[in-house]
Amino acid sequence: MYLTVEQEKMLRGDYGWAIAKAMEIIVRVGEALGAEELVKVEHVHVSGISYSTIGKYGLEFIRELALRAGKANVFTTVNPGCIDYSGLSRIIDDSLAGYQKLIDESLEKMRFKLVYTCIPYFYRPPLPGEHLAWGESSAVIFANSIYGGFTNREGSPVALAASLTGYTYKAGLHLLENRIGRVEVKMPAPLLKVPIGAIGLWIGENIKAIPYIRGLCNISLDEVKNMLASMAASGNHALAVIEGITPRGTFKIELEEQVEVENNVLEDYIGGEYSGDSILGYIGCPHSSPRELLEIWRLMRKYGRIRRGKMLVTIPVEFTKLYRGIILELKARGVDIATGTCPVVSKFREKFDYILTNSGKALFYLERIHRVKVKLARVEEIVKELFGL
Amino acid sequence: MSKSSLAYKGSVKPIIPGPCSGEVVLVDGHISFFGEIDPEQGCLINLENVCFRDKILIFKGTRGSTVAPYVIYALRRNNIAPRCMLVAEVEPMLIAGCVLAEIPLFIVEKYEELVELVKKIHSRVYLEVCGNVLLLYKKE
Repeated sequence: MYLTVEQEKMLRGDYGWAIAKAMEIIVRVGEALGAEELVKVEHVHVSGISYSTIGKYGLEFIRELALRAGKANVFTTVNPGCIDYSGLSRIIDDSLAGYQKLIDESLEKMRFKLVYTCIPYFYRPPLPGEHLAWGESSAVIFANSIYGGFTNREGSPVALAASLTGYTYKAGLHLLENRIGRVEVKMPAPLLKVPIGAIGLWIGENIKAIPYIRGLCNISLDEVKNMLASMAASGNHALAVIEGITPRGTFKIELEEQVEVENNVLEDYIGGEYSGDSILGYIGCPHSSPRELLEIWRLMRKYGRIRRGKMLVTIPVEFTKLYRGIILELKARGVDIATGTCPVVSKFREKFDYILTNSGKALFYLERIHRVKVKLARVEEIVKELFGL
Repeated sequence: MSKSSLAYKGSVKPIIPGPCSGEVVLVDGHISFFGEIDPEQGCLINLENVCFRDKILIFKGTRGSTVAPYVIYALRRNNIAPRCMLVAEVEPMLIAGCVLAEIPLFIVEKYEELVELVKKIHSRVYLEVCGNVLLLYKKE
């Protein structure tokens, strides 16, 4: 692989151990992928900062980089941690707070922007064609598909390494020739007969090439976000070319196959029937956008107070300041708000019989991690189930 | 002692070269290392009898969370990692995990052919990689 003089110096250790280690990781991964050179990145998003998901060895890795003077060389944001950073939640467990604090101190020492969210594009939307090094599968697919940013699904340590050096390897989705939609996917009609997360889970499991999605109209960007996140959970998608949405010039189309998604096959992806009294309604995977928060607020005003089970909404930490009025009203109506975290990367304080969520991604992980039954439903159905008479 | 006989000879592309010989564990599908692998036990969470400590893990590819490299790294540090991994397709985060954990990684050229054969053999299956050549043995 060709390295510039500066990159050679980084690798050789002229700028210290942390940068040398970071450069070694990037070069080795890049060489394995056949990259011929590195590319400068404009924004790094680091996933894998929750103690609940990375454990003691991940913590050791991050701490060592920080203790040995690793510093962000480019604007860097971070994914959710395993605790509620506003102390508002009674549902998210905080028993790992001590370990999480050690990770957070290291991230701060490395001068990362501690946004603790899986929607980093809320803080800095990428420009079309801009090179990024993002972890967090749902954010990666959103950056590539919606904004036309160029990023691979960077494993957490590679994103960290890219932050410290300011570079990543130029391979995969950093090259236009690899951003080719090959399978035309026609959406089911009517489109929202089943929750959109189910469509994402189906595509993730059944389509392996980059899809070219058509017929995705009259739905909100938040629903597109939910679908993309679900695809990236049940599959390994990092880009879906969406007709009319993905910026021109950031992809090519060379169709080899056509697939029509039918509503009857989606039934298998919404989860089974549920029973039990201990129910949790969950919205916010990926973290709720301001628009979603407003929708929940509007629905709750319509339905009143919570009448059965519990309701959890997860949001970026900063939303508690930005949308304080709404948050306080949701709290007053019995909604549990957790900031800077989510149940995928944290633990619950109690066991639930089943969870109702609008997120296909949450269904995929919560069933596996918390061993709980999960069912997909639309936001209004969840609110109605918990708040309705 | 039972004898071994050669059942298959194929090709691999080394992604992270290194020694790779031992008993085979096959998971014919995509794995999310986060959520589907227990990093304390070295087993698949939903298939509790499938554990891969010190074995050769053959699977189609990865899916899901980008936290995967830390899970792979934890497997190594807990001494329950597979000896090496053979896959049909690689993505950056799998490579990153194997780089960090120093686990040899190979792409199998005719993955489907190999998997069909492994499924048909009911006895234990052993595999050895020499350069670009894959040799599969069955116990008789």
